[in-house]
Amino acid sequence: MDDGIRTPQALRVWDLPTRLFHWLLVAAVTTAIASGLAGGNWMAVHGKAGLAIAGLVAFRLVWGFVGNRYARFTNFAPTPRVLKTYLRGEWQGHGHNPLGALSVLVLLILLSTQVGTGLFGNDEIAFTGPLAGLVSESLSLRLTGLHHQLAIALYLLLGLHVVAILFHTVVKKDNLVKPMLTGYKETIQETPHPTPAKVGWASLVFALATALGTLYVASGAPLQAETPSATPSRSGTDSSQPSW
Amino acid sequence: MKNAFKFLLLSALTIPAVSFSHDVLAQQAAKPEQLIKWRQSAYQLLAWNNGRIKSNLDAQYNKDEVAKAANSIAAIANSGLGSLFAAGTETGKGWHDTAAKPALFSAGSKAGEYSAAFTKEANELAHLAATADQAAVKDQFGKLGKTCKACHDDYKAKD
Repeated sequence: MDDGIRTPQALRVWDLPTRLFHWLLVAAVTTAIASGLAGGNWMAVHGKAGLAIAGLVAFRLVWGFVGNRYARFTNFAPTPRVLKTYLRGEWQGHGHNPLGALSVLVLLILLSTQVGTGLFGNDEIAFTGPLAGLVSESLSLRLTGLHHQLAIALYLLLGLHVVAILFHTVVKKDNLVKPMLTGYKETIQETPHPTPAKVGWASLVFALATALGTLYVASGAPLQAETPSATPSRSGTDSSQPSW
Repeated sequence: MKNAFKFLLLSALTIPAVSFSHDVLAQQAAKPEQLIKWRQSAYQLLAWNNGRIKSNLDAQYNKDEVAKAANSIAAIANSGLGSLFAAGTETGKGWHDTAAKPALFSAGSKAGEYSAAFTKEANELAHLAATADQAAVKDQFGKLGKTCKACHDDYKAKD
């Protein structure tokens, strides 16, 4: 195909669910970081932001298997071979580039772990994760320690994410933010045309249902429904306590 | 005469000995292990009372219960907790290994500022718990929690 059938056109790479996921995640993670650093009564907000992240990450993990071709993990698996090709500047493809893909996967794993440790953690002040009651006090505290350490790793990776996007936009003149807003990426395409991203409705329903299910379990609601009287009120009016 | 002399001699020997040993007991500082136990116990009491206030704020609010808890927190905050962080207790085991970081013991006046902030907010919470409504108590409870966090972030070892 060196006869020059190269036409600039807009390729749809990021479908609406993927874009919504991304920007909602930005909002939720920003809120979680700010409220976690603030502490005090902001910890209630921190817990809610964490639940939102749980639902969003669950959605993205499912979307990575049943979503459109650019969202699927199998289509952007950053194998060593692909990474080498990319670093030599010979990679040709659409969607996540191999280094970006690596960053996406590590971020998703890190966020899942961060949410997981938060759900079982407690800050020894006034915040207790909704699932902390399922594990021993000492395990809960170990997980909280991990939560604090992973936060630093998360800051570094998020910083790298932003710097990399700036690098692509400013130095390589390749705007990565616009496609994540509009869904379309301007490309010089060679025939055959790459397939645009399409949303499968059944897949979307399935991914949303998984996200909601995750949210429900993570919120600890099933625990409360199971044992309505297992959490004795400490308000002093409980008849199971002596009056003094 | 002989007996009187014996009595005097015995007194001369024993009185200083007894009073000396008394002085030794009085001057003997608590062992590091004991100090660490006391401070860990103090923070457990804080945890109990903080938890009570939290559950009252989250569920049914009982003003008497909150006042008791807030008074207890203020009492502990005003008890001079700093004396439990005496030199020699940087490491060691009380009920469990100390969670205080070595940095706390070389923090100088900063540790004192954290402590003063905690005491100030604890006193205010006790005052509001007796006089103000739930919303004001909740607000102040958040402020108190921030003073806990400030010190934990810098000087409490993470498991």
